[in-house]
Amino acid sequence: MTAEAIVLATTAALFALGAAGVLLRRNPVAVLMAVEIMLNAANLLIVLGGRVRGEVLGQAIALIVLVIAAAEAVIGLGLALALYRDQVMADVDETREVRG
Amino acid sequence: MSALLPWTWVLTLPGLVLTAAGVGRRPGIASIWGPLVMLLAALAWFATGAVPGDVVIPNWAPFLPDGSLHLRADALAALMLAILGFVSFFVYVYSLSYMEGDPGQRRFFCYLDFFVAAMALLVLGGTLGVLLVGWAGVGLASFLLISFWRDRPGTLRAGLDALAANMLGDAALLLAAVIVPSGCGDLTTLGTPRCTAGLGGAALLAWLLLIAAAAKSAQGPLYFWIPTAMAGPTPVSALIHAATMVAAGVYLLVRTHAVLELAPGVMLVTAWLGTLTMLGGGIVSLFQRNFKRGLAYSTISQLGYMFAAAGLAAPFASIFHLFTHAFFKALLFLAAGVAIHATGGEEDLARLGGLRRRLPVSFGTFLVGALALIGFPATSGGFSKDAIIDAGLRENPLIGYLLLAGALVTGLYIGRLLFGVYFGPERTHPHHEPALQVWPLVPLAIMAVVAGYFEWPGGGLSRALTPVLGAIEPLRAFSATGLAAAVLGLAGIGLSWPIVQSAPGATPAEVGTGWADALGQAGYSLSRGLAGLQTGLLTRYALASLLGVAVILLLAARL
Repeated sequence: MTAEAIVLATTAALFALGAAGVLLRRNPVAVLMAVEIMLNAANLLIVLGGRVRGEVLGQAIALIVLVIAAAEAVIGLGLALALYRDQVMADVDETREVRG
Repeated sequence: MSALLPWTWVLTLPGLVLTAAGVGRRPGIASIWGPLVMLLAALAWFATGAVPGDVVIPNWAPFLPDGSLHLRADALAALMLAILGFVSFFVYVYSLSYMEGDPGQRRFFCYLDFFVAAMALLVLGGTLGVLLVGWAGVGLASFLLISFWRDRPGTLRAGLDALAANMLGDAALLLAAVIVPSGCGDLTTLGTPRCTAGLGGAALLAWLLLIAAAAKSAQGPLYFWIPTAMAGPTPVSALIHAATMVAAGVYLLVRTHAVLELAPGVMLVTAWLGTLTMLGGGIVSLFQRNFKRGLAYSTISQLGYMFAAAGLAAPFASIFHLFTHAFFKALLFLAAGVAIHATGGEEDLARLGGLRRRLPVSFGTFLVGALALIGFPATSGGFSKDAIIDAGLRENPLIGYLLLAGALVTGLYIGRLLFGVYFGPERTHPHHEPALQVWPLVPLAIMAVVAGYFEWPGGGLSRALTPVLGAIEPLRAFSATGLAAAVLGLAGIGLSWPIVQSAPGATPAEVGTGWADALGQAGYSLSRGLAGLQTGLLTRYALASLLGVAVILLLAARL
């Protein structure tokens, strides 16, 4: 198994883990953490792509993704906080006011 | 001039900034010069030889396959800019008086400036991408202006109706821009075989363009937003929902008529859609209690004529009717606005009446507009409607005769409004007509009469438009069909007199409510069922999008 294949497998595993977390966890902070794991899996894939193609572009994009992910985390945590203020037991499945 | 014309869309932006910043004692004065300069630039462009000019700034939107900012000044764009400049200049002047004393006056002029800029960008767009920016911009401006009186009940709902219909059109146009192969975003080459080789071929592209145009121009089932849009101020109804923005759909069909001609099936649908909307809109107008809604259905009906012409391989007749209609329909709305303003906001036909003595200018100009609308010989509408009916009889006689019959309906509904509002007993006590509201009516009335002479007898308009639209058949003015249409229109006006007499004010007859209710009920249950999909459960949505991505990946792997 080459180094690339190991990284690729790690990426897939991380992504699956994150997706499962998003779908199964009910605590908003845990959901956010799971989303971050998915983002990091994607980031790892980007860096791997850069390495395979021998370009620096992959690393540059990965850095940009990190910054955007940080901004996204701020908004997400703000939402989670607002949710905690709104209801004592924060649960993403109980929050469904926009249903049709 | 060909270098300046592509940039006329920025003309109202300084006014927008100044008005928003609160400069000037009277809002609106700062921006009023933009449309005037736009009109003069367009006229000067025609006068200095009408040389097409392109401005291309490459890589303006790098995420699009053809992401250059491409502005194109040709005869069609210049004509649309001239119409926009002319009508919006007089609407600005009119609004100075109409909106005087309104607390949101400054906001009103900011929105209006934004609309003019977006509309100009729409007609100047050289690629589908740039056109789409203007296309979405006028939709947004329309929403903002319909919901302008936020504290009145129903205005927000009316604005959202308009936004929903417009978004549907935006989505169709966006899809059209996506399926065109890269390198083909240019509107002039859209009909070439290389550009229609994308997914679905020319037929799908034509369908998407037709849906986009029908949403913008309120054709067929997408008519619903224009009558509710009348909740906005009357100058807005005149400029946006009669003269310019709703005509953007017709403009799109004319601009891309090469694609339409590659798909004969879509052409036929366009022609029938226009014809049926023309008849339906006219008939529904007969049952309106609200003055402005009566005119709104008239706009839908006249846009139907333009769609029919576009579907009958007569793009010039279509754009010619757009040109004449812009003047006489803006005139009708502004004259109606004088009556509404003078009676303190009264729009109910049952409570209006006998206004011709107190409001003589409003009455006179409304009469001129009505005559142009029914296609009275030698007025602008006479020439353009003649051209459309001629094209109908030539290409598809059944549609031609229906278009001819539409003239009778036109006469009926406009006669009903004319007699209902300006004749009969006085039911209100109008105050006088403000000078600033009256004098913009005069140039519009003059144009409503003489606009046809830009084409007949010299053929100036068709000569200028030939490079864009291809060969154009010469206009047969004062033909037998045209005279028949005018006679039918006058007969309609005559017949409407006893109707108005027998039923004072409006005739709110409840016609066909049975099947309309059933249709509405069916639509409601359908949407109730669809609404069940919207569970509000975040995890359910996440699962759906994950599965969607998986399906796309599997499909991509197989290809």
